[in-house]
Amino acid sequence: MAAKQHKRNYMISRSSSTPPMASFVKRLFGKIHSAVNSWERNHSPCRRRSLHRDVEQEDLQHINTNCLSSYYSVFVARLAIMVMLAILIGLLTLLTWHFTKVYTRTSLNALAYGLRYELLQRPVLRMWSILNSTVEITTAQVRLSEYVIRKYNRPENQAQQVELYEVMRDVTWALFASYRALNSITIKYKNGFVQAFHRDPRDNSTYYIYNDLTNYTMSGPYDVNMSSSHQGWNDQTIHSNISAIWYREPLDPNTGEKIGKQKAIPPDELINIAGISQVPYGAASWHVAVSKFTNSPLLSAAMPVWDESQGNIMAVVGVTTSLYSVGQLMKELVGFHSGHIYLTSQEGWLLATSSTTPLLTNSSTGPKLMMAVDSQDPVIQTGAKWLLKAYGNKPPPNHEVHIEHAKLGHQTYYIDSFFLNLKRLPMVGVLIIPRKYIMGKVDERAFKTLMILISASVCILIIGCVCIFVLTNGVSKEMKLRAELISHLDARRKAEASSNYKSQFLANMSHELRTPMAAVIGLLDILISDECLTNEQYATISQIRRCSTALLRLLNNILDISKVESGKLVLEEAEFDMGRELEGLVDMFSVQCKNHNVETVIDLSDDMPKVVQGDSARVVQIFANLISNSIKFTTSGYIILRGWCEDPHSCIENGKFSFDQKALWPAQKNKLIQQENQEKSSCKKDNRVILWFEVDDTGCGIDPSKWESVFESFEQADPSTTRLHGGTGLGLCIVRTLVNKMGGEIRVVKKNGPGTLMQLYLLLGTPVDMPLENYKLKYADHNLKVVLALNGSMCRMILSKWLFKTGVHTWEACEWNELTHILQELFIPSRYTQNLTYECSKVESISKQEMEVSVFIIVIDIGLLNLSTDIWKEQLNFLDIFYKRAKFAWVLNHDTSNTIKMELHNRGHLMMVNEPLYKSKMVQIMEAAIKEKMISLRHGILGGDTHEFLEIDNVHSDPESSNDSEKSELNCSTTGIVQVEETRRTRSSSRYGIVNNCFLELTEVCSERNKQGANETFPVSQEKRMQYAEKTISEQKSLKGVRILLAEDTPILQRVATIMLEKMGATVVVVGDGMQAVEALQTPSEGGMTTQTKMRVPPPYDLILMDCQMPKMDGYEATKAIRRAEMGTDLHIPIVALTAHAMSSDEAKCLEVGMDAYLTKPIDCKLMVSTILSLTKLQPNSLT
Amino acid sequence: MAAVSQLQRQFIEYTTSLYNEGYLDDQFTQLQKLQDESNPEFVVEVVSLFFEDSEKLLNNLATALQQKIVDYKQVDSHVHQFKGSSSSIGAQRVTNVCVHFRNYCEEKNLDGCLRCLQQVKHEYILVRNKLETLFRLEQQIVQAGGSIPMME
Repeated sequence: MAAKQHKRNYMISRSSSTPPMASFVKRLFGKIHSAVNSWERNHSPCRRRSLHRDVEQEDLQHINTNCLSSYYSVFVARLAIMVMLAILIGLLTLLTWHFTKVYTRTSLNALAYGLRYELLQRPVLRMWSILNSTVEITTAQVRLSEYVIRKYNRPENQAQQVELYEVMRDVTWALFASYRALNSITIKYKNGFVQAFHRDPRDNSTYYIYNDLTNYTMSGPYDVNMSSSHQGWNDQTIHSNISAIWYREPLDPNTGEKIGKQKAIPPDELINIAGISQVPYGAASWHVAVSKFTNSPLLSAAMPVWDESQGNIMAVVGVTTSLYSVGQLMKELVGFHSGHIYLTSQEGWLLATSSTTPLLTNSSTGPKLMMAVDSQDPVIQTGAKWLLKAYGNKPPPNHEVHIEHAKLGHQTYYIDSFFLNLKRLPMVGVLIIPRKYIMGKVDERAFKTLMILISASVCILIIGCVCIFVLTNGVSKEMKLRAELISHLDARRKAEASSNYKSQFLANMSHELRTPMAAVIGLLDILISDECLTNEQYATISQIRRCSTALLRLLNNILDISKVESGKLVLEEAEFDMGRELEGLVDMFSVQCKNHNVETVIDLSDDMPKVVQGDSARVVQIFANLISNSIKFTTSGYIILRGWCEDPHSCIENGKFSFDQKALWPAQKNKLIQQENQEKSSCKKDNRVILWFEVDDTGCGIDPSKWESVFESFEQADPSTTRLHGGTGLGLCIVRTLVNKMGGEIRVVKKNGPGTLMQLYLLLGTPVDMPLENYKLKYADHNLKVVLALNGSMCRMILSKWLFKTGVHTWEACEWNELTHILQELFIPSRYTQNLTYECSKVESISKQEMEVSVFIIVIDIGLLNLSTDIWKEQLNFLDIFYKRAKFAWVLNHDTSNTIKMELHNRGHLMMVNEPLYKSKMVQIMEAAIKEKMISLRHGILGGDTHEFLEIDNVHSDPESSNDSEKSELNCSTTGIVQVEETRRTRSSSRYGIVNNCFLELTEVCSERNKQGANETFPVSQEKRMQYAEKTISEQKSLKGVRILLAEDTPILQRVATIMLEKMGATVVVVGDGMQAVEALQTPSEGGMTTQTKMRVPPPYDLILMDCQMPKMDGYEATKAIRRAEMGTDLHIPIVALTAHAMSSDEAKCLEVGMDAYLTKPIDCKLMVSTILSLTKLQPNSLT
Repeated sequence: MAAVSQLQRQFIEYTTSLYNEGYLDDQFTQLQKLQDESNPEFVVEVVSLFFEDSEKLLNNLATALQQKIVDYKQVDSHVHQFKGSSSSIGAQRVTNVCVHFRNYCEEKNLDGCLRCLQQVKHEYILVRNKLETLFRLEQQIVQAGGSIPMME
C-alpha cells in the first residue's frame, strides 16, 4: 500500500517535472542553434573569399544547412535516448529497492507487533495476578473473620470480646504473614475497633496497629436493617472517635511476636483503613490509594464481613497491595527490551511506570496520584501528550492503539496501548518502544541500500549518457563525413564530366581545326609557286606560310595532348624499320641544323633490331620533338641521337655503356626486370625488346632543378626562352606521355660538359627473331680500307669507331691537307716510308699486291673542298690521280650547287650521299664498292666498256643518294603499278644525279607508302594526301580488276560510288543492306545442307565498302557476321566503312568490329582509291 | 554560235554563283567529273535520285515529328540518311542544316527539330530549284549544239 502510494507520488512528481525539462531542452536547442549560426557567420566570409566557384559555394551552403538540421535531429535523438535510459534505470532502482524492503518490513512488523504485545501482556498479567491475589486474600480474610465472629457471636463480657479480638488478630496475622506482597490488612469492626497489620517497605518492618478499646461500647449492635445503618457506619464514626488513641507496635516480620513497645501514634499517620463506606453495596470493591509510606500507589480492596444470621455487616476487611512490584517487572522488561511501559487508570492517573521517576506528587494534602501527562519521565510525558493530542478525550473504543510512527522529540517510536477492563478499575497499558530498537538496523540497511542503488544508477546513467553521446557523436560524424564524401563524389563526377566534355570537344574539333589550316597552307603553297609575284609579295607569303605551319604544329600539339588526355590515343602495332625512320628524321633535321652550324649525328648500335613493332608515327614524333628541341637550344656543337638495344636474352655488346646507364637508373632497372619477368612468363614468343635512346646536345642545358618539371605541360626550363625560341612547352609533355604509353620512361640525365642529355627507353616488340647483320663477317674478308675525310668531328669519330669494330681499317682527316697527306702516304709508298707520323699507316704496310685485293674507299665531305674560289677544281684534279685505285664517295650538302654536282658526275664520281653520313649510308657505300670491285675483278680481264657497268652501278647505287629507303622498298615489293611508276620516276631523276631537290617530298611519300604497305590507314596530313593523290589520279585505271562489293542503302550514294569505282576500273556489285552483303559472301545453298555461314572459298570480292547505317542489318552487325564466318579460315576480306559520322569514336567503333579502314561521306574519290589500293595490295594473289 | 557562247557564259556564271553562295560544293564537281560518254546523264540521274529520296525522307520526318511520342532515334536516322545523300551530291547547305538537326535530335528538342525541318525543307526546295534551273540551262546548251563547259 505504502509502496504504491510512494510510486504514485513518484509518478506525479515525474509528470509534473516534465514541462520544465521540455523547456530546458528547447532552450538548449536555441543556444546551439545560435552558436552554430554565429560560427557560420564568423566563418562564411573567409570561406566565401576562398571560393571561386559559385557551384561549390552553393554546395557548401547546402551542406551547412544539412549539418544544421542533422544537428537538431542528432540532439533530439540523443536526448530522447538519454531520457529513456534515465527512466528505465530509475524504475529499476526503485523497484529493486521496494521489493527488497517490503517483505522484510512486513515480516519485521509482524514480529515487532508480537513482541510489543508480549511485552505489554506481561505487566498486565502481573497486575491481574496482583489483583487476583489481593481479592483472594481479602476473600479469605472475610471468610475467616466470618467464622471467628460467628463463633464468638455473643460476647457476653469484656473478656470474650478481647478473646475474639485476640483470635482475629492471630488469624489476620497468619494471612498477612503468608502473603508477603501485602502492604496491609485492616479489619474494622462494627463497634469502631480497628485491627491492622502494616508492612513498611521503607525499613522492611512490620507493625500491628490498633486503637483503644475503651471508647467502644460492647453493646450497640449494628442494626443492619436500619436504614440509617450506613450513617452509623460512616466515617464520621471514626472521626468522632477522634479521641480514640491509636497504637502501633512493631512486630517481628517472621513470627509476629511483639518486639517493641506499643506506641501511640497520631491518627493521621494511619494507613488506609477500609471502612463501611468502601463497601457500599456489600460487595467487594477496590480502588487505588496512596499512602505516605510508599512512593508507589497502592491497590486496596475492601470486603464486608456479613453476619449470616442477622444479615448485617459485622466488620469490613481491607487489604492493600503495593503496585510497586508491577513497576519492578516493567523495569525488568524494559531493561531487557528497552522502551517505556506505563499503566494508567482510565482517567489517566499513572499507576505504574517502567521508569524510576516518582509516581506521586507531594501536595499540601499529602501525596497524590499524578496524571501520565505530568510524569517527570520525558518519554512517558511526551508519549502521553502525543496520545492525548491524537485522540483527545475520546479514546478509541477499548483503548487499543497501535502506532508505528510516533514522532516524540527527535525519535520515532512505536506506541501501543491495551485496555485492561477490570471491574471498578479499568486500566490502560501503554508501551512506547523506540523504533530504532526494532527497525533500526533494517531502516539503516534500507537507507544504505537505497543510497547505493541510487548512486549506482546515477553512475550507470552518466556512463550510459556518455556512451550514447560518444556513439551518436560517432554516428553523426560518420554521417557528416559520408555526406561530405557524397558531395565530393558529385563534385568529382561533375569535374570529370566537364573534363570529358572538353576532351570530347577537342577531339571532335580536331578535324575541324586541321582542315582549314591545311587548306590555308595548301593555298599558300599554290601562291608561292606562282610565277608572277613580286619579291615583296613573295616574302610576305612565305612569312605567312611559316606562320601557318607554326600554327598547325601548335594545333597538332594541343590536339595530341587532348587526344592523350581523353584516352583516345591508341597506339598502332605495326612493323616498321626503326633505323630507317630515325635516319630519315635525322636527314630532315640536318638541313635545319646546317643553318645553325650544328652537326647532327645518328649513332645506332648494330644490335638494334631492324624491324620493330609499334607506332612508327608516334616514335618519330617523339624523336622529332626531342631533336627539334635540341636544335632550338643548340647554337653550335652537335646533336647526337644514340640508340642501342637491351635485350634481356642477348648479351649486350656495348655492355660498359649500358651498365653505366643502368647504374644511373636504378629504379628503372628494377622495374625493367619486373617487366621482363612478366614478359618472360606471359609471352615469351612476343620478343619484347627494350630500346634505349639518348639525345645528346651541346646546347644551353637545363637546370637540374627543372629536370622533372620540363615534362609537365606548358613548362619551359627558362621562361625567357619563350621570347628567344618560342614554343608552347607542350613538346616534352607529349613526348613523355607517348613514351609512357609505349611502356618506357624518359628523363634528363647528368652530362659531362655543357648541354642536355635526354635518356629514354621504349618497350617495343620485334615480330620474329631476325638475324642480326654481322658486319664484321661481311666486311672482314673484303679487306676494306676507308679514308674518312669529314668536317664533322663527332660524326667522323663515331663512324671510325664503328668501322674499326667491324674490322675495317680507317684513316681520318678533317681538312684537305690532312687528306692529301694520307692519300699520298697510302698510294705513293715511296713517300710513305719517309713519313711515320701517322700511326694507322704505321701498322699498315701496303704492298702493291695488297692494293690489288683490298678495296679503298675515300669518303670526302664536299665541305673540304675550297668552294669559295676555283681551287676546288684543282683539288678534284689532284684526286683524279687516285681515281683508279680507290672508290670516291662524296658527302654533299643540301645546298651544294648543281655545277659542282655536274662536275663531279662528269668526272665519274657517281657515289654521292647527302649529309649527314651515318652507318647505313656507309654500309651502302661499302656494299656498292665491294660489288663494283667484284664486277671489275670478274670483267677486269675483258676490260670492256666500263661505261655500261657504271650505268648499272648507277642504278644500284642511286639509293645511296639519300632515298635509300626507296631502294629497299623496291627490293621488297615489286608488285603494283604505282610502285613501278615510282621507280621510273626516281630512276629518271637519279639519272641526272640530282636527288636532293625532291629529297624531302620523296622521303615523305616513301614513308607513307611504307605505312600503307603495312596495312594501316591513318589520317595523313592533307598536304601529303594531295601530293599523293596527284600521282594516283594520273593512273586512271588503278583499280583495274578489283572486285568490290558495295553495301549501301541510299540510292544516290550507290550510284555515285559505283560510277567512281567503275571509272577506276573496278567491278562493283551493289547490295542494299547488310543482310544482303553477308549473303553475297556465303556459299550458294545449292551445295546441299552445308552450313549457311560457310564462306565461299575463293572469296568473290576483293573488298567490301560497307555503309554503317543501313536498314535490316547495319554495317557493324554485318561486319561482325562476316568476321564470324571467316573465323577458322585464313580468309580476311578487307572491309572499308563508309559513314557520315565524322567523329573519331566512330572510327574506333568501326575498327573494333573488324573493319580495316574508314571513309567518311561524302566520298573523296582519291582517298577512297588509295585506301582500296592499300588494302587490296595485301593479297596480291587476289588480283587478276 | 553567239547564242551558244552566251548560254555557256550564263551557265558558268550561274554555276559559279551556286558555288559562291554555298549551295553546292566540291562534291558536285566530282559528280560532274564522273559523267562521261558511258554515263552521259549521270549527274541528272543522281540528282533526281536525290530528289526522290529527299521527298520521301522529308515526308517521313514530318510524320515522325507529328507523333505524340516522337521517336528521336528514328528521326535521327532519317536525318542522318538525308545528310549522307545531300552531302553526296554536294548540297552543302542542306547538309549543314542536317548537322544542326541532328544536334537537336540528340537534345530531344522538339521545337528545334521542327524549326530545322522547316529549314531543311526550305533549303531543299531552294537547291532543287537551282539544280533544275541548272539542268534546264544545260539542256538548252545541248539543244543549241554547244558543249557543256567544265568547271575547274
